Amino acid sequence: MKNKKTSIKDFSNKEGQLVELDNSGFLPLPPPYDKQELEPKIGSLTEDARKKYECDLDGVVAVKFPRPETEEEKRILVEKFLSGLKKLFEKENNWGFMQPLFLTMEYCAKCQTCASACPIYNETGEMDIYRPTFRSDILRRLYKTYVKKGGKFFAKVSGNDIEASWTMIARLMELCYRCTICRRCAQTCPVGVDNGLVTREIRKIFSQEMGINVEPLHKKGSVQQLKAGSSTGMIPAAFLDNIEFLEEEVEERTGMNFKWPMDKAGADILLIHNAGEYLAWPENPEAFAIILEAAGISYTLSSELVGYDSVNYGVWYDDVQFARVAIKHAQAARKLGVKKIVLGECGHAHKALTVIADRVFTGEFNIPRESSLTLLDDIIKNGRLKLDPSRNDDIITTLHDPCNVVRLMGIVQPQRNVLKAVSNNFREMTPHGVENYCCGGGSGFAITQDLNFPDWRHTVSGRAKLRQILDVFQDVIGPEQKKYVCAPCSNCKGAMRDMFAAYGLFERCNILYGGLVELVVNAMPEIEKPFLEWEWH
Amino acid sequence: MGGLQLLLYFAVLFFVVAIVAKTIKIARMPIHLRWDLYPVPHEKGRGAYGGSYFEEIDWWTKPKNFSYLSEVKEMGKEILFIQSLFHHNRPLWLFSFPFHFGMYCLIAHGVLLLTGSIIILGGIEISWLSKNIIPAAVFHLTLISGKAGWLLSAFGAFGLLMSRLFNGKLRSSAVLSDYVNLLILLALFTVGVVSSFTVDISYSIQRAFIADFITVKSAPALPGILTAQLWILTILLIYFPFTHMTHFVGKYFTYHKIRWEDEPNVAGGKIEKAVSAALGYRINWSASHIKSGATWAEAATEETTEREK
Repeated sequence: MKNKKTSIKDFSNKEGQLVELDNSGFLPLPPPYDKQELEPKIGSLTEDARKKYECDLDGVVAVKFPRPETEEEKRILVEKFLSGLKKLFEKENNWGFMQPLFLTMEYCAKCQTCASACPIYNETGEMDIYRPTFRSDILRRLYKTYVKKGGKFFAKVSGNDIEASWTMIARLMELCYRCTICRRCAQTCPVGVDNGLVTREIRKIFSQEMGINVEPLHKKGSVQQLKAGSSTGMIPAAFLDNIEFLEEEVEERTGMNFKWPMDKAGADILLIHNAGEYLAWPENPEAFAIILEAAGISYTLSSELVGYDSVNYGVWYDDVQFARVAIKHAQAARKLGVKKIVLGECGHAHKALTVIADRVFTGEFNIPRESSLTLLDDIIKNGRLKLDPSRNDDIITTLHDPCNVVRLMGIVQPQRNVLKAVSNNFREMTPHGVENYCCGGGSGFAITQDLNFPDWRHTVSGRAKLRQILDVFQDVIGPEQKKYVCAPCSNCKGAMRDMFAAYGLFERCNILYGGLVELVVNAMPEIEKPFLEWEWH
Repeated sequence: MGGLQLLLYFAVLFFVVAIVAKTIKIARMPIHLRWDLYPVPHEKGRGAYGGSYFEEIDWWTKPKNFSYLSEVKEMGKEILFIQSLFHHNRPLWLFSFPFHFGMYCLIAHGVLLLTGSIIILGGIEISWLSKNIIPAAVFHLTLISGKAGWLLSAFGAFGLLMSRLFNGKLRSSAVLSDYVNLLILLALFTVGVVSSFTVDISYSIQRAFIADFITVKSAPALPGILTAQLWILTILLIYFPFTHMTHFVGKYFTYHKIRWEDEPNVAGGKIEKAVSAALGYRINWSASHIKSGATWAEAATEETTEREK
């Protein structure tokens, strides 16, 4: 690997692509992927793309920002960035994160303890640009030089000075999309500094001040969601059609004929799924419908704009978009008069609506929010479902902990209780629970599909998770044994789908991924045919 | 009264005012959005594995299982033993632990010296020969905390400086002030070790100096090494508040007010009041999807379809 060691000076000034990525320098994977030829490679950009887009960090593109043509354009972009940086430290513009960011800027002891926790840094053989403190140090120097009182003088004296240039800002723009914001780094920091937060705050400067963001998150993400009703582009009428289709499919698969409750005013629960589930993994909302019907739970879905899609991509890059989507969710619940909102298997939606939005909602919008994992645990604990775990005996199961559900909101045990009730062959990955590794698709990476970014995701950000999956099944790694990675999160499933396909994990090792509720329904004796279809799709 | 003594009054006052001002500045920042990070130790029965009240059905209807004891235990382990470094960065812990523990000993040593000075001012002698239990205890504890404190912190500071110089990962992110901070501390601790084992073995000179200092009397000239110690201490007290070495202030907020702050927003509560106030702030972000000049409440509830066309 070239340029494994990188200084901030090089990052700021050196022309051309700063580092080149090469899997041969990454940490080797367990068998069967110990053979390098089985690993997918990170594709090079075409010459056109290289000329067109800013890609001088590592030759990978997430943002797809066109290279500015003139020095004047560059100067304006740098000025805009610095203006946005200042706004991060103004209560009017950034009350929601000003204190945590200020503390992180002021108190890092540069002990590098966080580096040992970062899967991206470690899996790439410790590439400096991916070190959690690397991007924070750049932002810290910019803050000390351009934001603090007497900045330039004191920054110079203390050695913290830095000259903002477009070369640096353009690289920072891509670098803030090389961290999944899993916050493992923050968990190990002795001072409580949060480099994951820094990543998000840098993204905010680009989005909220400069209008620069990743298209799948913004234009095709939160903007589309607010306009059409879902980030998938599914409008309410299409959603209703979809539900009808899924009702029929459930009948075909299980023989159960029932209407899914829709816009039922006065129901106890508004259940909101990540709308991607309806299109990519319909068996997941189907399984929810079957379970809730069988358990006699009073709930409803909503066909209100945004009310049927729990995603909130603003949580990864933009506070204003975040607040807008969160309010729409609350409005949908309020309209139906439900007692609580329950979130389906989508990790970031859990954290967004339950934890972060807790300080966006006031008055009538503050409707209680709960995890479906907690609800499922309660249903099973109270014996409201008949289950026979032996129906899952042909599968060895492991559990992936979505960062947003576990490390970032402390839901650890319910999903394990459920799994243990439906599987006799459950084994834990190492590490797991709040110390888990990200699936590699966190912070929007799972839906960032352009150019060679997916290659980077499969081979770099998802690498630690892939290693864990291979390790946990190493004694039965051959294709003769069915193995299931239970990932109760849509984005994690998306990342796994693409990574498994890139590595040929299903064909080579017979490892499938999926949600939690599918296993639950598979263990319901009243359903004759196996619910879990053991095929790649 | 000597110039150094006068400067020390200023330095002590400056230090206290600067630290208090810094603390107030952080505490007065507006409420932030929740940004929990688990494990949260005060989650009774769940803290050990990182669980939270979100694991409970209808958690908002249940009494809160809050364990102050678990939180205090966790704080104790972190503050006294720097457990995060012990678990995640053992090579650095080998120096950071003695460095910090040595400083805690020195803080205790300072309090004991002050106590001893007050006892002296009360006309009671403090020495090896003290028979009365309190002066004797103060004397011996001063001795132990001083020797241990100076030695441990000097060893730690030396080790941290060497790590900063020779560990590539640490060196790559270091700036001039990181070295200056450690050098000033190492100088103080080294001089402290020398004075502790040479001119002021029983700390009687320092005790007498403090007695004069707190009664605003001109202190007699100190031996050279103690004068050097005082100079470095004075400089440090003035320099310290400008550096990240005040992270003991920051650490309170990062742990208690961010990572572990899981207080839910309830109707009519103080959080809701603070959030309502914050939602009234006016935004002036410049991107086209945000209407500059709107309040957060207006921006969050406006229909954005037209703007995005």
